[in-house]
Amino acid sequence: MQDFLQFTLTGITIGSIYAIVALGFVTIYSVTKVINLAQGEFVMLGGLTMFSLVSVGVPYWLSFIATILFVTFIGWLMEFLLIRRAKGADAISLIILTIGTSIFIRGISSMVWGKDQHTVAPFMDNTPVTIGGASITPQSIWVVLIMLLVVGLMYMFIDKTMLGKAFQASSVNPMAARLMGISPKRMSSFSFVLSASLGAIAGLAIAPIIFPAYDMGAMLGIKGFSAAILGGLGSAPGAVIGGLLIGLFESMGAGYVSSGMKDIITFSIFLLILIIRPNGILGEKTIGKGGL
Amino acid sequence: MKLQGVQQTKWWGVVVFIAAILIFPLVVTQSFFITQATFAGIYAIIAIGLGLLMGYAGQISLGQAAFYGVGAYTTSILTATWGWSPWLSLPIALLVPALLAFFMGYTMSRLSGYYLAMATLALGIIVHGLLVEGKGITMGASGFYGIPQLSLFGMTINQGVPYYFLVWFFVLIVLILSLNIVHSRVGRALRSIHDSEIASSSMGVNTGRYKMQVFILSAAFAGLAGWLFAHMSYSISPSAFTFDASILFLAMVVLGGSGSVWGALIGALLIRMIGITVHTLGEQFSFITSDSEHVIYGLILILVVIFMPKGLFPTVIDWFKNTSIKRVEKKSSVPVTPIERSVSE
Repeated sequence: MQDFLQFTLTGITIGSIYAIVALGFVTIYSVTKVINLAQGEFVMLGGLTMFSLVSVGVPYWLSFIATILFVTFIGWLMEFLLIRRAKGADAISLIILTIGTSIFIRGISSMVWGKDQHTVAPFMDNTPVTIGGASITPQSIWVVLIMLLVVGLMYMFIDKTMLGKAFQASSVNPMAARLMGISPKRMSSFSFVLSASLGAIAGLAIAPIIFPAYDMGAMLGIKGFSAAILGGLGSAPGAVIGGLLIGLFESMGAGYVSSGMKDIITFSIFLLILIIRPNGILGEKTIGKGGL
Repeated sequence: MKLQGVQQTKWWGVVVFIAAILIFPLVVTQSFFITQATFAGIYAIIAIGLGLLMGYAGQISLGQAAFYGVGAYTTSILTATWGWSPWLSLPIALLVPALLAFFMGYTMSRLSGYYLAMATLALGIIVHGLLVEGKGITMGASGFYGIPQLSLFGMTINQGVPYYFLVWFFVLIVLILSLNIVHSRVGRALRSIHDSEIASSSMGVNTGRYKMQVFILSAAFAGLAGWLFAHMSYSISPSAFTFDASILFLAMVVLGGSGSVWGALIGALLIRMIGITVHTLGEQFSFITSDSEHVIYGLILILVVIFMPKGLFPTVIDWFKNTSIKRVEKKSSVPVTPIERSVSE
């Protein structure tokens, strides 16, 4: 029972990160129909930029904000320089484009930060607290809180602001949205900006726990993508549920079986769920050829 | 009789291809390049299969390395552990990935698009994980060693020129088989599925069955490549069958141009050549490290998609056709109408 509680807490922590990454996928996908496999690199950039800024002596909270701004700028740049230019490309080519971008960013990062793992200080004093026999670090609590905050803010933004409405409109019916004077270019650009900043926040939150390195983005990207698919591509609540589930499968698999088996177990359960619900747990609104 | 709109296999392409295979080892004699060309052949077999799946059936597979790995490990276990003849294990190395694809296709028949892509990605991760974790059978992450070499009529087929010819002989078989499939009734059915699944199914095409068949065929091709890869090297390890390998195969198809068998072949060659070029540059100039190899590789992928979204092969062919049409227009001074142009393509 004590083990179970411990694995659940670990699962929710890592699941929260997957949830934020999955929200990034959903944000870009719903507006541009692009699967951005470079999403994990935003998280990596978030963690490593924070490391560099702190180690050159920038105050902690200032570097926090500077990191978010920097990664957001990279996201904007990616849309402006690459995605916008590839007009004639079909969905598969666009995936290759984002993979190319992710290999490129990873290569640059390994030149800048080297191949080592780096340490980033936690937000606050990080003495573990014990809850019902399971211990949890304050940073893990922060991760979960940040996920909840992000979900709350996203909900407020999408549902309550004019920009959010425009965003929703261009996802539901791009043609009609265009006729109403919403610029698809601006929305596409904005979706990358938003999703890059989500990635940066995830990177900042997780950095003190997992010691960021240049190659951490690939697996985070894959897990985030599976979370988005599991929840139903295009559905924001689905992304959060998918992320938490993937995190839980993983920590249960690692805890009860072995850490080498955790990915096998996670993806086997993932496939089983897909067999039962081919459009994800919450289902996709726009069912065509599975988004293609 | 030539029916309009029905494409036929252009045999001169195959002839040129055979000539190129035969001439290459005469022109290039360094063993490094022969080995690289052999690898290119192995990748070409996988890329052609994946090209059929993507360009003709319109499905993405992000886990093709799984079938490649299953093929390689099947033959390794049969020959090294059980002492089978490699030639006897060849049909099994094709059959096991094909069965896996059948099982996968059967259970996942309701999935499509990105959901199917993610399912194949999951399969790739599961298979890779099992190869690493199944230490009793696969010898785990350190790799499986002791795989026997191939021999034919009492002669061992050594790595180098003999193996190069063996691999490219199989590439030729796969190529001719695929060209014939593409230009047959099945191929037309597949292309119609790619363009519009609903329209083709309303014309009486059993879309599910065709898609399944192509998926199985592409898995069997990957199994063949795995068989060739295992017997080329004394040892294999799971690190050759990762998600990155699947992405590499995907990149080959996209770079070469999906929707064309030749495109996949050329894409495989191209990716190999990019790798070799960047590597050789790295040896020449000290400022190019293995890190910048990745940067350049990523950059090339980006540039090709932006400037040649259809892939290299179709872009070049289109360019040729357009210039030749212009020449015809000049000669006859009768403009070729857009309709005729589209028919001639």
